[in-house]
Amino acid sequence: MNALNILLIEDDMIEVMKLNRTISKLELPHNIVEANNGEEALRILQKKDELPDIILLDLNMPKLNGIEFLNILKKDSVLKYIPTIILTTSNNQKDLLECYKIGIAGYVLKPLKYEDYTSKIEKLLAYWSINELKQI
Amino acid sequence: MSQDKIDMLERALAREKAARKQAEKILENKAAELYDAKQKLEKSYSELEALLNKTDSQLQGVFENIVDAYVIMDLMGNILKMNDAAVSLLGFKDSKVEFNLLEMAHPEEMERVAESFQSLMSNGTITDFHVNIITQQNVQKLVHINASIIYDNGQPVAAQGIVRDITQAKAAEAQLIESENRLTSLIANLDSGVLLEDQNRKIVLTNAKFCEIFGIPTPPEQLKGADCSDAAEQNKVLFKNPEAFVNRINAILEAKKEALGDELETVDGKILERDYIPIYENNNYKGHLWTYKDVTLRRKYRKSLEAQKQKYSSIIANMNLGLMEVDNDDKILMVNQSFSSITGYEEQELLGKVASDIFLDETNSEILSKENSKRENGLSNSYEVKGLTKNGEERYWLISGAPNYNLNGEVIGSIGIHLDITDLKSLQLQKENLLKKLEKSNDELQEYAHIVSHDLKSPLRSIDALVNWIKEDNKEKLDDVSIQNFNLIETTLEKMEQLISDVLMYSSVGTETLERQTVDLHTLVTDLKTILFVPDHVSISVLNTLPKIKGEKVKLQQLFQNLISNAIKFIDKEVGLVEIDVKDLRTHYQFSIKDNGIGIEEKFHDKIFKIFHALNKSKDSTGIGLSIVKKIVDLHEGQIWLESKPNVGTTFFFTLKKDKI
Repeated sequence: MNALNILLIEDDMIEVMKLNRTISKLELPHNIVEANNGEEALRILQKKDELPDIILLDLNMPKLNGIEFLNILKKDSVLKYIPTIILTTSNNQKDLLECYKIGIAGYVLKPLKYEDYTSKIEKLLAYWSINELKQI
Repeated sequence: MSQDKIDMLERALAREKAARKQAEKILENKAAELYDAKQKLEKSYSELEALLNKTDSQLQGVFENIVDAYVIMDLMGNILKMNDAAVSLLGFKDSKVEFNLLEMAHPEEMERVAESFQSLMSNGTITDFHVNIITQQNVQKLVHINASIIYDNGQPVAAQGIVRDITQAKAAEAQLIESENRLTSLIANLDSGVLLEDQNRKIVLTNAKFCEIFGIPTPPEQLKGADCSDAAEQNKVLFKNPEAFVNRINAILEAKKEALGDELETVDGKILERDYIPIYENNNYKGHLWTYKDVTLRRKYRKSLEAQKQKYSSIIANMNLGLMEVDNDDKILMVNQSFSSITGYEEQELLGKVASDIFLDETNSEILSKENSKRENGLSNSYEVKGLTKNGEERYWLISGAPNYNLNGEVIGSIGIHLDITDLKSLQLQKENLLKKLEKSNDELQEYAHIVSHDLKSPLRSIDALVNWIKEDNKEKLDDVSIQNFNLIETTLEKMEQLISDVLMYSSVGTETLERQTVDLHTLVTDLKTILFVPDHVSISVLNTLPKIKGEKVKLQQLFQNLISNAIKFIDKEVGLVEIDVKDLRTHYQFSIKDNGIGIEEKFHDKIFKIFHALNKSKDSTGIGLSIVKKIVDLHEGQIWLESKPNVGTTFFFTLKKDKI
């Protein structure tokens, strides 16, 4: 299994804890980089030599929200190749359509129950860890 | 025989000889005389013959060249001779026939012919005898005959006559008389009073109408010859302005020139039109003709027509609709007061100008020309244009245009009624704006609901995660009661989340976000049966094929899903039955979903459709499901109701409108 560099863009502290705890509980080799909002994420992405393999993106965030961030990302000639998976509570059809229109690699709803969450994250990361990704 | 005797005989012989000689001599002389006479006679005869021949041929020439038919007959009436004209008049083939002329007379004329023949014999001539004959060609003709007897040594030997065909002349004469009669009767019955006077102002002719107009009791025929010199003076009292009447007549008579169309008003309110026509013969004044026409009625018509025109004109002028008449080149011919006030232009500023140039910009000119071309085909139409008033203000006008025809039925332009609908239009625009705003705020509300639900759900997830971690981290330290309580927290969280989802669903049901499409409900329900969790002891059956209906698939699915899962949820029997059926009503489909569950008491039947009215406080009941159902049914212009018996089961009925577009 490939170890992935994952950029998690999430403003909710507990959500961040959930992903970290899930990865350590499942004993996965992946590396998590955290950004609390879109602005912070863009700052991180400026370091072109340390770009993540995939991005997990929340939609409802202060300052730069998920869709705005996604728009910027997809207009960047380099960053647009990074698979971006939406991880959100919003099952708003409008958001979903908009995201796919701009270009995303997945849309995962955060379930209520923690154990469901663990299961979803496990599958998600298992999938991406077997994918061939662009070498940047 | 004696000598004596012989002597005597000899003497006698000698005497006889001498006598014979003498006689011979006389005879000789006589013969010579006779010869002479004969010679003479022969000569005179030949002279006579020549003379006769000459006369005869002269006569023959006259006879042949006479234009009229000429016939000679013997005293019995047999034709002796006739010329070519007679042959043709009497219908013979040629002149060589034997025919008795008396046979030609019309049977009814026999007596007269006999009389006239008698008279011819006794008097020697007849003249101007008219008689009907039937010719050899069997044509009836009226002929005029002049005839005389031919005498030889005072003895009548034959008769000659000239015959003229006067059939046509007679007919023409009859026609003339007839037409004269007609004319007379026409004049007599003319609706105009006619008075014909000669140069001495004596009446030649007048008619009943004239007498009627002037109140003359005498019949018109008896007025012939009456003197009119004093007529004007006598009749002036009949007229409103008597002196002017008399003066005018005198002036006309003085001038002896045609004077037409004089108008006179009588004291009893009649209006007469008078024409005077002088009659000249070879430049000599021979009299004159007066005609009087009663034009009261016509004048009244004209007046009432004018009054009517006045009325409509005043309606047009004062109506609140702008009226504009244009010709085929859109040049303004007429506008009313309202049109002026609508557009701000005075009438004088508009007449003769091209309407579209003044009032319309390019786009609206196009609209107009399109509408105009329709009108050229004789169609009336209404359309809206945006026009400019004199001070440049944009106004909306509703124009009803109708083609304008001339007397020959050709389109010569159009008349447009203009209604200023700017206020109406701005109301409409306002409404459209409001609708847009409403739509926007609806969208915003929807957005808001999503954000709120997200924001509310996030803490729930966090709590769930934290509870899980506490459980995990303290597996050995927690007692059973604590574990149970933690589980209760988790259940409560689930319920809370369901509640939030339902509220979100409920709030979004009312807003039509997606386009309506044809939804096959049968497929939809069949699919639902596989998606829904159906316990083993419950069976769902669809009794009839469900129809296709126009609507939002998501909402219709929600509708069936909520009702079916409700039915499943409340089944308490060992064998659960859910039956779905449909009935085709005229405008709607009526669906039913029947279960054999716990049933619902009647007093709750209305309440259950209200939000947050869950009857059974169970972990998976938020009390919103049926409210959503009701809202969806309302959206499809249907109704929902139920029949239920506690412990027996419940049937939910609802209707959905057909062809909802």
